[in-house]
Amino acid sequence: MRYDQFTPYDLVLLLQGLGVSLALFVSTTLIGLVIGTLWAVIRFYRVPVLAQMVAFLAELLKNSPVLVQLFLVFFGLPAFLKINVTPTEAAVITLSGNSAAFIYVIAVSAIESVGRDQIEAARVFGLTRWQILRRVIAPQAAAFAIGPLTGLLVNQLQVTSLISVIGVMDLTKVGNILNLRTLKPFVVWTVVGALYYLAAKLVAHAGARFEKRLRAHTAWKGL
Amino acid sequence: MISIAGLRKSFGAAIVLNGIDLEIRQGEVVSVLGSSGSGKSTLIRCINGLEKIDAGKITVDNFDVSKPRELSEARKRSGTVFQLFNLYPHMTAVQNVALAPVEVLKVPRKQAEAEARELLRSVGLSERADAYPAQLSGGQRQRVGICRALAMKPSYLLLDEVTSALDPEMTAEVLSILANLAKGGTTMVFVTHEIEFARSISTRIAFLDKGQMIADLPTKEFFSDKGMALPRVAQFLSKMRKD
Repeated sequence: MRYDQFTPYDLVLLLQGLGVSLALFVSTTLIGLVIGTLWAVIRFYRVPVLAQMVAFLAELLKNSPVLVQLFLVFFGLPAFLKINVTPTEAAVITLSGNSAAFIYVIAVSAIESVGRDQIEAARVFGLTRWQILRRVIAPQAAAFAIGPLTGLLVNQLQVTSLISVIGVMDLTKVGNILNLRTLKPFVVWTVVGALYYLAAKLVAHAGARFEKRLRAHTAWKGL
Repeated sequence: MISIAGLRKSFGAAIVLNGIDLEIRQGEVVSVLGSSGSGKSTLIRCINGLEKIDAGKITVDNFDVSKPRELSEARKRSGTVFQLFNLYPHMTAVQNVALAPVEVLKVPRKQAEAEARELLRSVGLSERADAYPAQLSGGQRQRVGICRALAMKPSYLLLDEVTSALDPEMTAEVLSILANLAKGGTTMVFVTHEIEFARSISTRIAFLDKGQMIADLPTKEFFSDKGMALPRVAQFLSKMRKD
């Protein structure tokens, strides 16, 4: 016996699924930002051994499919390291690592984009490495990175849909369930797609506003 | 006193400075002249510790710039103005000037910014104090650069070809500020191609040629028969004056 009509409760289910997707997206983005930026700073200061390890790890994460990484974490960790992970944990670990690897690439080029001459100026006026990083490099690197970062995040939001395959109740998984129940794929996936679209637009919009603020110094105000 | 003794510096196989001795006492304005590639800029970059020296010793008020611990003290005593300004593009003129006082000297931000505005006013930039470097002309940028160095209240001002990137009109506006500073008794090491200006403000002229200091004379003597007796100096001066 199968109820094949849509009910108002389905909307609640969809919104719950969207909530799960967004929560995973936000948390893995924040973790990815912290780790990716830290990696970039390690590389900027050419920390011996660590810098090479970071570069190697980022290469691995960038050049293999997220789905494969997800399976390795979800099935591999329990099998080989005897660490049990829940689907949500596996999703957080995988997506954070993947975001970190791409954010690392953006952060490295953003830091490199800051002119050496200003860094020299800051040095001769006696600023410490940390002060130079915080006051001179970071604000400009952020302004440089925000564009590519927004693009990456819009993509990472869509990538979260992959975690539905290990049973996380995200938007795609809810769509899958509704689809199997109602057998109206065109309606279900259109609604699911529209929700992803709206969420992605929101991310892009926030990124654009943030970019405008960070790039205030390059805005032409006339003489 | 800035004291340089037996300074040697090379980049790979190229020997840029080959045994430089120079002393700059408080109140002096020493211009460093010489053709392009003679090592003038490198000399400044050695004094402020941007380049590691190969041999010899540089001290600023007895702080040895080649010792990391003493370098920060040495740097507090000298302010550098750069050829290409090297301003922080994401900060307004006031913020550019106030950054080092706030971060290094721990001056409260409000006070540092008030002092920065006062400095900018003194070089005729009170109207442009809140503009970003990209909104300023070259001459205005360099005036901000000078204020940024002065904000640290340095004992010595190191000027590295500060007008080479400016057109004659902007050069004049920057030089008039430097002339005022010289009159006010600011100690300066002035690397330049502006020979007539160097002549008018310097107490001493040092002449570099292929990494060696071939003349270190009081300004009057340098531009008299004594300087002209040195063939390289005579050649340099006659060539520069033709332009």
